[in-house]
Amino acid sequence: MNSTQAQHSVLHADRWQAMLVGGYRNLKRNMTVVDDLNVFPVPDGDTGKNMTMTMEGGAAGIREEFDSIGEMMARFSRASLFAARGNSGVILSQFIRGLAVGSEGVTDYTPVTFAKAFACGKEFAYHAVATPTEGTMLTLLREGDAFLQCHSFEDFDTCLSALLSQMRLTLQKTPDLLPVLKEAGVVDSGGAGLVCIFEGMLSALRGEEIEDDAPVAATEFSAMTAFNENSTLEYGYCTEFILQLLRAKTDIDTFSLPQLTETLQQMGDSVVTVQDGSVIKVHVHTFAPDEVIAYVRQYGELVTVKIENMSVQHSEIQTASQPKERQKYAVVATATGEGIKQFFAGVGVDVVIDGGRTNNPSTEDFIDAFDQLNAEYIVVLPNDSNVIMTAQQAAELYNNADVRVVETRSLAEGYSALSMMDLAAPTVEELIGDMTAGLPNVTTASVAPANRDTTFSGVTIHKGDWLGCEGDTVWSAHADPIAAAMQLFERLPNMDDKQVVTAFYGNGATEQEVMAFEEAFADAFPLVEIGFIEGGQDVYRYIFAVE
Amino acid sequence: MSFAIIVDSTSDMNAAMRKKYDIDYVAMNYVVDGIEYPASLDWTAHSPKEFYDMMREGKRITTTQVPRESLVSAFSAQLEQGKDVVYVACSSALSGSWNLSTLVAEELAQQYPEHRVYCVDSLISSLGQSAIAVLAAKLREEGKTAAETASYLEEHRLRFNQYGSCDTLEYLRRAGRVKASKAFFGNLFGVKPILISDKVGQNYAVKKAKGALNARIALADGIAEVVENSAEQVLYISHADNEDGAMQVKDLILERAPFADVEVSYITPIVGSCVGPGTIIAFCYGKEVTVQGE
Repeated sequence: MNSTQAQHSVLHADRWQAMLVGGYRNLKRNMTVVDDLNVFPVPDGDTGKNMTMTMEGGAAGIREEFDSIGEMMARFSRASLFAARGNSGVILSQFIRGLAVGSEGVTDYTPVTFAKAFACGKEFAYHAVATPTEGTMLTLLREGDAFLQCHSFEDFDTCLSALLSQMRLTLQKTPDLLPVLKEAGVVDSGGAGLVCIFEGMLSALRGEEIEDDAPVAATEFSAMTAFNENSTLEYGYCTEFILQLLRAKTDIDTFSLPQLTETLQQMGDSVVTVQDGSVIKVHVHTFAPDEVIAYVRQYGELVTVKIENMSVQHSEIQTASQPKERQKYAVVATATGEGIKQFFAGVGVDVVIDGGRTNNPSTEDFIDAFDQLNAEYIVVLPNDSNVIMTAQQAAELYNNADVRVVETRSLAEGYSALSMMDLAAPTVEELIGDMTAGLPNVTTASVAPANRDTTFSGVTIHKGDWLGCEGDTVWSAHADPIAAAMQLFERLPNMDDKQVVTAFYGNGATEQEVMAFEEAFADAFPLVEIGFIEGGQDVYRYIFAVE
Repeated sequence: MSFAIIVDSTSDMNAAMRKKYDIDYVAMNYVVDGIEYPASLDWTAHSPKEFYDMMREGKRITTTQVPRESLVSAFSAQLEQGKDVVYVACSSALSGSWNLSTLVAEELAQQYPEHRVYCVDSLISSLGQSAIAVLAAKLREEGKTAAETASYLEEHRLRFNQYGSCDTLEYLRRAGRVKASKAFFGNLFGVKPILISDKVGQNYAVKKAKGALNARIALADGIAEVVENSAEQVLYISHADNEDGAMQVKDLILERAPFADVEVSYITPIVGSCVGPGTIIAFCYGKEVTVQGE
């Protein structure tokens, strides 16, 4: 450390702002490390991403200068609440909310006022969850708070570095508190994410520059679209750019906009061109954006460019019904996989939010979905245990409808709830009653690939095996997906009580495989009805609703 | 003075019941591969197994209402013998037979001014329609006239309740004989509609059940809820080649309410082609039906 560096007895808003940004950047740099601290041996960990996107939203909300920490934290908190996704993101956003509440009226932090705000943050984080689990981010906050309350510090540098040491210590203890962590041989991912944030904050406090990677939200775009390896380009690309005419390439004074427009009209349609001096703004729908760009670069260079696949825009508009007459009920559900999304839309879901286990939607995604609707009651199906808290946070923040969250923990539960839904129900209680009555009887099972050699719930697993899982319990592992699925059903403890299996088959399952599986299942379980729906989901070869 | 009781093919009334209560029937027709067969209540053209296997293989079966000449000859035969007729017809919401019968009755009234055909719209089908005809036979035994019987039936027909469950709504939807929104059932797998006969005699999907057993439980719960004085009544259960299921429904109902007697019979080709194989329908006398499908 640099001994000549000034110690901070008081933190002004500008430094605290830099620290928040530093915390965000450092977490982002370590995002995949945190993601990989996944208890479950399936490549679907996303704690790092969820926390990063929560911080990213917060950081985007405090781009201007602030005179007071209290004001800045209010903004940072509101922005991160909206950006929060996944349980870890929601807990983090509630911690930040508490920090903000504890910082109300605070212009500058002293170690004492910071400790007070931290305590308030811890309280909010604990209140975010119905049954707080120890061995998680919450334990780091609790022990961090206890540490701050029984120590006094002259300056922030010592305070923060001591707090960070305490958090690291607690993080190492998380496997002792939470057996699933111990079995998987990892520390808690949310806690690790929190440590990354505080490491980044300490670096920023010390004036160290943390390199900024590209924002996560932008790089995630492709993963959130409806366009996949089986799609065809139906609508072309919506292409927009600003072209700076260059003297080196063209005679700007004699440059002819009508001629450029005419050529673009041959390359596509919906052409709009606007010229302002030597700058041209262009909008065109085309199947060959590369040709359009090569053509216009004869005259200059691009200042900005945006190219969007319109198949994606198209399908997103499809799921978003126009706000019409106020309905009594509207339904919002998250789903992943094109087939599942279409299926949900077909059985009465008004807005399907893309997302799920590996791609948790944010609070704001839910609020945007609510805004597309015009209904007295909005019923929300989160369809993943890691999305429930986000949906509840959105419900709490939304005022234009009575939002009810049906706590579906998986796509299978969401499917079951939807299959029993009756939108003609006279009251919202009856509507939800029909949807939830069968949920205790729904077993969520799946077949997914293993991402490492391990032993899990007593099953020896080789990397690349197909795992037959019931929720987070692994019942079988086999090189063949059908064998893994059949062993799963043979071992499921309550198969005798089951009547119906609905199987959503994912990308990669061939028709022959599905038929072979159906035959094997019918032989083994003649009394159970099985039906197949093309789910089109990634990662999970099969998702089963066993009822 | 005694009168004749006539039902039609949708009543699913088997030969033993017809004999016991002295009830006759007029036949509708069904068409398979372009060939028309009379919808005999005694399975003269196809056995139940043959018939429902054709449906399982995806053969399209269409039906026709009672032909005019069948009504004319069945009614005139009785009038000729100096008898009034009570015709207990299939629900007018499901078949045009009742409507046609009223026109035929009017014409015959001129020919046979001394006697009359009373056409009762049963507002139900299958063994529910039979149950109404059986009630007519009991009233006849008590010495009631045809006119008295017909008006009594019209007053009480909505006391006959139906709880049915199909494997799929597809057949009913194709035949245009159900009220249920698309989103309600979509192509939901394993979800069984629970169908009542509503107050205008239309099949109406009131709720849904997940899986065959839950559907049967829903039928039993439905019957137990609406039945009155079950111990003095006959429970009627009809089924489309699903005897095991019908027996299970019978047991589930008897666990909930004791009945004096149980009549189990096949759903015959007309109703069968509309509801599809596997269907089970239970009927009883009880609370008046007040529900009407949207």
